[in-house]
Amino acid sequence: MLEKILPNEIFDILKNRVNIKSINEIRLRADKPIVLAIGSQRIFLGERGVTGNLKEALISSKTMIEDIIFRASECSIYSVNEQLKRGYLVTKGGIRLGIGGDIVEEAGKVKTMTNFSSINIRLPHEVKNCSLSAFNFLLSEKGIYNTLIISPPGAGKTTFLRDFVCQLSERNFAYNVLLLDERGELDLGENGNIGNFADKISFARKSIGFENGIRALSPNLIVTDELGQKEDIDAVIYAVNSGVSILASVHSDSIESFVKKPHFEEIIKNKIFKRYVLLSMRNGPGTLEGIYNENFARIHL
Amino acid sequence: MKILLLAFMACLTIYIGYLFSKKYKTRANFFQALVLLCQKFDVEINYSRERLKNIFNNLDEKQKHKLHGIDNNFISFMNKETPLEREFLFKNIKFLKEEEKDIIFMFFKSLGRSDVDSQSKEIKNFQTRFESLSSSASSENKKYGSLSIKLGIVAGLVIIVLFI
Repeated sequence: MLEKILPNEIFDILKNRVNIKSINEIRLRADKPIVLAIGSQRIFLGERGVTGNLKEALISSKTMIEDIIFRASECSIYSVNEQLKRGYLVTKGGIRLGIGGDIVEEAGKVKTMTNFSSINIRLPHEVKNCSLSAFNFLLSEKGIYNTLIISPPGAGKTTFLRDFVCQLSERNFAYNVLLLDERGELDLGENGNIGNFADKISFARKSIGFENGIRALSPNLIVTDELGQKEDIDAVIYAVNSGVSILASVHSDSIESFVKKPHFEEIIKNKIFKRYVLLSMRNGPGTLEGIYNENFARIHL
Repeated sequence: MKILLLAFMACLTIYIGYLFSKKYKTRANFFQALVLLCQKFDVEINYSRERLKNIFNNLDEKQKHKLHGIDNNFISFMNKETPLEREFLFKNIKFLKEEEKDIIFMFFKSLGRSDVDSQSKEIKNFQTRFESLSSSASSENKKYGSLSIKLGIVAGLVIIVLFI
């Protein structure tokens, strides 16, 4: 998919001079050097591959950025406006473009985004078995503990969720899993594997996705990314009260920061989540820092 | 030999007349197809947010024929096979004037570049311009289309009369 959205000259350099599989992010800012995130490193992209020298770095233009967004929308920006309004765009293969530009508001509502000035292209990776070190700690006698994956952005939350779903299927845990893929990142389509027991609802708000999914698909486990809003928390409580297990993720860099996050008080107080998995980028994305129980007592690592 | 040559000359003038007539008809059909394309875009973009490639792929054969490959040239651009440049877009299209090419090029350049409301307004704007071009191409076709063949026949007869 990357070859379909990037300008040929950039893609050729990445293909021939950089190991694409090692890239986590490609950042393009108007009239600024192109930056690659490889592991926890940030490095420029030059004509001969990666470089630390600013003078050798390739400079991205506004036209280039607009063209990438145009291509990522399959040449139909109007068809992805709902995503653009939320500041991102996800391509078929699960590549997520975080977009910077001007928000156009009308009558107090976001109408669209224009005048694009930067993109953060996040390349999804299927890291086989990355959830295995935590896997057994998340299984209960009755099924799967309600679990929250905590990590800073880009530290492997989504990859963990994806692999966990895949591991369930590979170990013949025949749970009906519902992937509530609000941003289209969880399922990589033909480039990924979500196992044989997973259904998917994409691009729906959590409040709608949880309600529709529980009614229509009777899942045993709902897997979803990035809880944050009050309505997300309400949706989680609704699901748990309906007897469905939850595996979700949240942005935070530590347990201490997480407990201070707004909207999560009720969840913490009522011990909705029985397991917390903390990931970091200490040894690269997906470093397991610890597994905690509902009282935030460390039970692993 | 002389009669054969005269017959050939007469056929040639009629054929030239036919070519002129065909050009007028092709232009009229082309602009009519562009207007229909705009109508289709407007509906499909507004109601189903259908992607451009699907809209082009779902055009009926008759309309595709009338568009003289401009749709396929745009699909090639969408597939990253060719850049969106004037010469590629109008490859094999010889019957358009330069100013008409400018308008059509601008139309294709604007496709898929904005949100639904703006896109819809742009399409409607271009549709109005194409309707005006279509109407003048139709009247040109009516006026000069059959006249070209008639002139070709007359010219052929004149040649025969003069040289016999």
